[in-house]
Amino acid sequence: MSVPSLWWIDWSLHGGPMRRETAGRFLLCFLAALYFLAMLLSGGVNRFLSGQYTISAILHVGVPDEEGTGIAGKVAALPPVREAQYRDPEQAWAEFLAAYPGLELLRGEGENPLPGYVEVRLRPGWMSDEGIAVVRSALEPVSQVEKILTGGDVMQNLLRMKRWANALLWAGFVLVCVVFLAFLVMQEKARATRLLPEVSFLASRGVPEGQIASSRTAGAVVAGGFVALLATGLACAALFLAARHLPLVRVTVGSAEELLDAGILLPSCLFLLCAVMLQGLTSLSGWRATFPKGR
Amino acid sequence: MIEAFRVGAVSRGRTLWEGVDLAAGTGELWVVAGPPSSGKTLLLHILRGERRPDSGDVVVDGESLYRGSPEHNRRFRALSGVVPELLPAEPGKTLEEMFLLSALALGGVTDEERRARMGDLLSLVGLTGAENVVVSSLSVSERARAALAVELFRSPRVLFLDMFLAHAGREWADRMGALLRALAREEKTILMMERRFPDEWQAQIASSSLSAGPFTLYRVAAPPRAPKEKERQSQAPPVSGTAEG
Repeated sequence: MSVPSLWWIDWSLHGGPMRRETAGRFLLCFLAALYFLAMLLSGGVNRFLSGQYTISAILHVGVPDEEGTGIAGKVAALPPVREAQYRDPEQAWAEFLAAYPGLELLRGEGENPLPGYVEVRLRPGWMSDEGIAVVRSALEPVSQVEKILTGGDVMQNLLRMKRWANALLWAGFVLVCVVFLAFLVMQEKARATRLLPEVSFLASRGVPEGQIASSRTAGAVVAGGFVALLATGLACAALFLAARHLPLVRVTVGSAEELLDAGILLPSCLFLLCAVMLQGLTSLSGWRATFPKGR
Repeated sequence: MIEAFRVGAVSRGRTLWEGVDLAAGTGELWVVAGPPSSGKTLLLHILRGERRPDSGDVVVDGESLYRGSPEHNRRFRALSGVVPELLPAEPGKTLEEMFLLSALALGGVTDEERRARMGDLLSLVGLTGAENVVVSSLSVSERARAALAVELFRSPRVLFLDMFLAHAGREWADRMGALLRALAREEKTILMMERRFPDEWQAQIASSSLSAGPFTLYRVAAPPRAPKEKERQSQAPPVSGTAEG
C-alpha cells in the first residue's frame, strides 16, 4: 500500500524521463567516483614514481650483515618509508653483474669489492622533498653509512614534473566534477520546467509552492543519495577487481586492500556527502529558476 | 458562504464590468450566464481567490479572500475545485495521471483508494474504463466530464465550473445536472459559468433570475436531501459518487 507523495512528484508524473536522466546521472557519478578513488589511492603519479624510485644508503665495506639488517629495520619504521631492504655485498655484486655483464674480472681472486646497501622505497604520499629529507636526516648520523644516493638534481626535476602531473590529474577530476555539476543543473532545470503545468494545477488547488519545493528537494536528496552510494560502491568494486587482476592498475593505482584504509574511507564518505548535497541543492536551484519567489 | 461585493474588473484597458454582487450559500447551485467575452472566466478566477478584483471584494466565510490572510485564501483554494474551460492536456498525459495529480493535491490517498475512486468517478461521468486513455485523444465533451471527475476526486466543498455544460453537450445536460444537484444536496456550493442557462434546466430554477453587470444569475433548486432511513432502504451509494437519472 503506497501513498503518492510530493517527495516523488517527478517520479510519479514523469517516470520515463526521470529513469533516463537518472541513468545518465549515475554514469557521471560513477565516473567521478572512480576518478576520485583512483586519485586517492594513487596520489596521482605518486604511486607509480614511488614504485620506480629508491633511496640507496651505501654502507662501509665490512659492515656485518646483522648491522645492515638492523639499519634497514630502523629505516623501515620511519613514517615516509614503505619498504627498506638490506642487500648484502653478494647481492650487490650480482645486481652489478646483471647491470654490467662481462665485468666479472673486477673481482678476480680477491674479495668482493662492493659493500652492502639499504634500499629504501617511499610511501606514495611521501614522494616529495620532505620525505627524502626525513630519510636522509635519519641515515646521515649512522656511522656505518658511507653515502646516501637520492637522485640529486635529476630527482628535483622529477619531483617538479610530478607536481605538475598531479596538478593536471586533479584538474581532470575538477573538470569531471564541473561537467557533473553542469549536467545536474541542466537536468534539474529541465525537470522543474517539465513540472510547470502540474505545479500550476497543484498551486491552484491550494498546495503551497514552498511545500512542493521542499518535498522535491528532500526527494532529490534521498534519490541522489542512492545514486551516489550505488555509483561509489560500484566504483570501489571496479577498482577492487581491476587491482586484483591487472598488474598495471596495481602498480599505478594501488592494491585493492587499501580501499578500506581510513585515509581512503573518510574522503570517500565526504565525496558521497558532497554528491548528495549537490543533487539536493541543484534540485532547489532548478526549482527557484523556474518558480522564482513571489512570482 | 461566498459573497462578492461590488466586484469590478478591468481587462486590456477597458472596464469589463463593475458593481457585481453575488452571494452563494452552502448547498446552493448557481449558474452565471453571460455572453461571449463578458469575463465569465475572469469572474470565476476572482471568486476563487486567484485574481484580485479591480474594485470590490470577495468574502468567504466572513473573511476577505484578498484583504484577509493569504492562508485563508490558500485554504479556500484547497477546499474548492475548478473545472476549467478546457482540461489542459500535455502530450501523452493519461487520465490516470490527472487523477494522480489530484491525489497529490489531496494528500494521503493510497494507490488502491485512488484507483477505486477513479473508477467510480469515471463511471459517474460516463467514462468507464478510460483510466489509461490519453487526455488529448478525448472529445471536448469527454474532456469536460473527465475534468469534473478529476475535481470531484478531492471532494471539494465549493466547485467552480467554466463552460462545463456547453462543452459536455446537450445529451449530457440532464445527467450532469442531476449529478451537480446531488452534489449541492450534499451541501457543496456550485458555481457554473455558462454562455446561457440550459433549456433542459428551466424547470429547476429556484427563484427569479438576478441581473449583475453583463451576467444573469440563476439559482437552481437542489432536491431536498432524502431521510437517512430511505437512503439505506434504497441502498444508494455515497452521494458524491451518485448520479441521478
